[in-house]
Amino acid sequence: MTEIKHKAFIFDATRCIDCRACMVACSVENQIPMNKTRIWVSGLGIMGQFPDLDRASIVYHCMHCNEPDCLSACPVGSYTKRPDGPVIYDPDKCIGCRYCMNACPFSVPHFDYDKGLVECAFIDKCTMCPQRIDVGLAPACVATCPTDALEFGEREELLTKAHERIKTHPDRYIDHVYGEFENGGTSYLILSHVPFSQLGLPELPESPINETSEEIMGMTIPIALGWGALLSGVAVGVNLYNNNKEKHNSTDAKAEADK
Amino acid sequence: MTSTVSRRDFLKMGAASAAAITLGTMLPPKVAQAARQAGQLNAEGDGYISSMCEMCVWRCGLIAKIKEGRVVKLEGNPEHPHSKGKLCPRGQSGLMNTYDPDRVLTPLIRVGKRGEGLFRKASWEEALDLVASKMQGIKDQYGPEAMVFSSTHNLSQPLFENLLYAFGSPNYGTQRSLCFNAMITAFLLTYGIEEPSRNYENVEYILMVGRNMMEAISTSETSELSHAIDRGAKLVYLDPRYTKTASKATEWIPIRPGTDSAFLLAMINVITTNKLADCDFVKKYVVGCDDIQEEMSKYTPAWAEQITGVPADTIERIAREYAAAAHNAMAHPGWRTSNFINSFQTERAIATLNALSGNVLKLGGCLSAEVAAEGAGLGVLNQPPYPRISALRLDGTPWKYPLVPLKLGVFQELRDAIVSGDPYQAHGWFISRQNPIMSLPDRGKTIEAFSKMEFIVTVDIIMNDTAWYSDVVLPEASYLERYDPLLPVGDKAFIRQPVIEPQGDARSALWIYKQLGERLGLGDYFQYEDEEDYIKQQLAPLGVSLEEVKSKGYAELPESKTNGQITFNTASGKIEVYSETLKNAGFSPWPTWEEPAMPGENEFYLLTGKVAQQTQFGTQNNQLLHKYSDEPRLWMNPKSARDLGLSDGNWVEVTSQVGNAHVVLLVTEAIRPDCVYMVPGYGHLSKGLKTAFGVGASDSALHLTYTDPISGSQALSQTFVTVKKA
Repeated sequence: MTEIKHKAFIFDATRCIDCRACMVACSVENQIPMNKTRIWVSGLGIMGQFPDLDRASIVYHCMHCNEPDCLSACPVGSYTKRPDGPVIYDPDKCIGCRYCMNACPFSVPHFDYDKGLVECAFIDKCTMCPQRIDVGLAPACVATCPTDALEFGEREELLTKAHERIKTHPDRYIDHVYGEFENGGTSYLILSHVPFSQLGLPELPESPINETSEEIMGMTIPIALGWGALLSGVAVGVNLYNNNKEKHNSTDAKAEADK
Repeated sequence: MTSTVSRRDFLKMGAASAAAITLGTMLPPKVAQAARQAGQLNAEGDGYISSMCEMCVWRCGLIAKIKEGRVVKLEGNPEHPHSKGKLCPRGQSGLMNTYDPDRVLTPLIRVGKRGEGLFRKASWEEALDLVASKMQGIKDQYGPEAMVFSSTHNLSQPLFENLLYAFGSPNYGTQRSLCFNAMITAFLLTYGIEEPSRNYENVEYILMVGRNMMEAISTSETSELSHAIDRGAKLVYLDPRYTKTASKATEWIPIRPGTDSAFLLAMINVITTNKLADCDFVKKYVVGCDDIQEEMSKYTPAWAEQITGVPADTIERIAREYAAAAHNAMAHPGWRTSNFINSFQTERAIATLNALSGNVLKLGGCLSAEVAAEGAGLGVLNQPPYPRISALRLDGTPWKYPLVPLKLGVFQELRDAIVSGDPYQAHGWFISRQNPIMSLPDRGKTIEAFSKMEFIVTVDIIMNDTAWYSDVVLPEASYLERYDPLLPVGDKAFIRQPVIEPQGDARSALWIYKQLGERLGLGDYFQYEDEEDYIKQQLAPLGVSLEEVKSKGYAELPESKTNGQITFNTASGKIEVYSETLKNAGFSPWPTWEEPAMPGENEFYLLTGKVAQQTQFGTQNNQLLHKYSDEPRLWMNPKSARDLGLSDGNWVEVTSQVGNAHVVLLVTEAIRPDCVYMVPGYGHLSKGLKTAFGVGASDSALHLTYTDPISGSQALSQTFVTVKKA
C-alpha cells in the first residue's frame, strides 16, 4: 500500500490546539455558507477526573482515500480520484442519490439541501483545495495552522516523517500512523497520543472496503445469469413434470371415465 | 439563535456597494488605482496586497487576496516575524469584521434616549462640527480636564494622544490597568524595561503562570512554544483550569486561585537555600544578592503547600528542575497572571526567578531584558510642545498611585472618579476603538458613569455597546480599509494600508483626529495633508518611496547598534530584586507574600480567561468567529454541580456583590471544584450587534472593582459568586 505516490496531509493530534484557524480558513477560501462547514472537530475532548485529565480531539475532513468508497458507490461517476491525490466531486453529474454518503466509512460527504435544490450540487466535502495546490500552495487549512499540527506534502515523505516522529518520541505517540493502511490507505494521515477510537476514527481493515464490495458486485452478472439459468432450468423441469403429470392424470381420468 | 447571512449574500451586498462607488466616479477607486500602479493588482482588479492584522494587538503581517475590489482571503505574511506565514482563527476571519452587516457606515447622531439605540444619519461635516463644539463648550465651561479620553492600544494612538494632550486633558483611559499593569510595573521596577522579549530557541524548561498561550494566541509565540514542546522542552503550567495549554503541558498544576506567588516564592526559597542559582551572574547583576536567601527563608515549600494546595515536594522538585535548566529556563512574564491584587508580587517573583537562572544575559537568551530601540530611523512629524497640564488625573496617577507609569494609568479608578465627582466632575468622554461598558469591571457602575456625562462620542467600526450609549458615533474605516502609522518590528517598519476602498463614509482615525484637531484650533499637532503624507514623512529619512513600501509591505530600517554591554535601566543599573524605589514608596522592597481574599461559604472564585476564537469584547459579532466558537457557558466541576443539584445544560443564575447573570451551565472536570469560569466578552447590551446580541452572559456585570495600590492593576479574578438554578 505504501507505494501510493501522491499528495497527502498529516495531522498530529499532540500538536493541535483546537484553535479552529483551519476551519475558518477553509470556510473563507471555499466560500462555505455561514451555516455549513467542511472541517469538523472530533474526539472525546476532556477525559478523566479532576485533576488527572487528558484531552483527545482532532480536526478532520475528507480523507481522500486511495480507493474511495464514494467513488465506487456512485452510480453516475460523480467522483474522480486525481492522480496527485484529491478525491473530486462533480456536481454536474450528481443525481442526489446519496449512495456516497452511505458508502463513506468516515461519514464525510454531506447533503446540501440549499445548494441541492437550487444548483443541483447535492453533496459537499473537502476538495484538497485544487485551486491552491495546482499553483504550489498548501491547502488553506494547512497553510494557516499556527502550530503546524497540519502539514501537506508527498505522502511517502510524510509517512517517513511520521514514523520518524514515533521513533524519536515512542513515549508520546501510539505506534501507528492512521491512514497508512486503513481502508487501503488514505491521504489524511493521523498521529495520536490516544487510541484512534477515542478520536472518533473507525477501525477499518487494511484492504479497502470497496475491494470486497466491488468483488461482490462483480459477481452480480455471473450470479444473476447463473441463478437465472438455474431457475430457468428448474422452471422448465417443473413445467415438464407438471405437464407430464397432467397428461398422466388426464390419461388416468380418461381411463377411469372409460371404465 | 441568531440570524446568519451566507457568504454568498454578503458578496452580493458588497457587490452592490462596490457598484455604487464605481458609479459615483469615472476614475477607478484610489486604492485600486494605487495598487495597480504598484503592480499588486492586475487590470481586472485582482491580486495580493500586504498589510497588517488588527484582530488583536499582536499585529501579524497579512497578505490580502483581492478579487474585483473585494477581499476574498487573508493569508499570513511569511516575511513578518509575528505571523511567519500563519494567521490564527481571528486573523483568518478578519475580513468578516470589514464585511460585518452591522458596520456603522455613516456618522450617527443620537435622537432617542441614551441606550435606546435611536440615531439619525449625519454628514461628517455636521457630526464633526457637533463633536468639536461640544468638546469646546465643556472646555470653556469646566476646563479641559472635564473631558475624558480613552482608547485601547492601537497604531494611531500617537495621534489620539496628540488630540487629548493638545486639548489639555490629563484624563486618559487605556485598557492597560485591566490587563498588564502588574507585569509591566514589576518589570520596570526590577529590570527597567516594560516587557522582556522571549526566545524559545534554546529553551528547555518553561514555567507559565496563567499564560494560556494555546488559547490566548500570539501567532508566532504560540508556534514557538508548540515547537519547543515538540522538541522536548518541559512546560510547567499553573492554572485552576485545564485549558488547552494545560493539555499540552508536561505538568499541569491546578493551583488555588491567587496563590501563584506563594508557589514562586517557595521556588526562590529552594533555589537560594540550596545555592542553585547562577551565582556569578547574580553577584554581578542583581541588587539584593546578599540578603535574598534570608529574606526568602520563611517561604518554605511546606509553607507554600498550606497556601497553594500543591504538595511541598512537587514545589521543591520543580524548583530544582528549573534551576538545573539554568540559562535555558524561562519563567514567562505572561500578561495578567492570576489577576489578583497580589499579581504584582507574582510578577516580581517571576522577574526574580529569571534573574536567578541568569537567562537574561543577552539578546537571544530565553528572556531578554535588552531592548533594541525600535523605530529608530523613522521620521518624526513636526508639532509644538503640549500645553502644561496642572489638573490632577482623575485616575489617581501619580498622586494616589505613585508607582503607576502615567501611560498605563488606572482606568477603573477613572471610572469611579466620574461617578463620585471627586476630586472634580468630568462632563465629556471621547472614546476611540474601545468598549469600556464591557471591558471595565462592574458594568452597572460604568453605565452610571455614562449617565453623568453631558456628551459622549465614540469612534468605532460597529455599533459596540459603548457606541450604543453614545451621543455621536463616528464610523472608522476597518483595518483593511485604511492607513495607520508605520509599525517598527525588529529591523523593518511594516505598513498597514487599505486593501479595499473604505465602505460607506467610513474614514481613518488619522483623518478623524486631524479633522477634530483643526476644528478645535489644534491643527498644528496634525501636520500632514492626508494619511499617505503622514507615512511619507515617516519614511523621509530612509529615502524609500511610499510606493515601494506599499508594494513590499515594509521598509528596511538602519541597523540598530548594540554595544554588547549589559545595562539595566533601573536606578542602580542592575536587576533590582531588592528595590529601594518600592521601599521609599512604602511598599515591601522584596518580592513578598500578600494574602489574597478568599470566597465565603457557598461562594466560588469567578475566573475569566481567553478563548482562541475571540479577542476581548470586540469580535463576538464577527459571523465567522461566531460560527466556530463554542457556546459561552459557565464552567463548573461535576462535584460542585452535584452538591448544588445542577446538571449540564441547566440555566443558572450567577450572583456577585455587584450584579447577576443568567447563563447555561457546562459541567466539566476541567476546573477546580472551588471555581467557576466564564468566557469574557459575551452578554452584549447593544442591539446593534445582531450576531452577538443575546449570546452568553457578561462577566463584566459580575466583576468587582479592586485596584492593586502598587501597580494599579484591576484584580479581575477577585470576584466571588454564588450559583443557583435559574
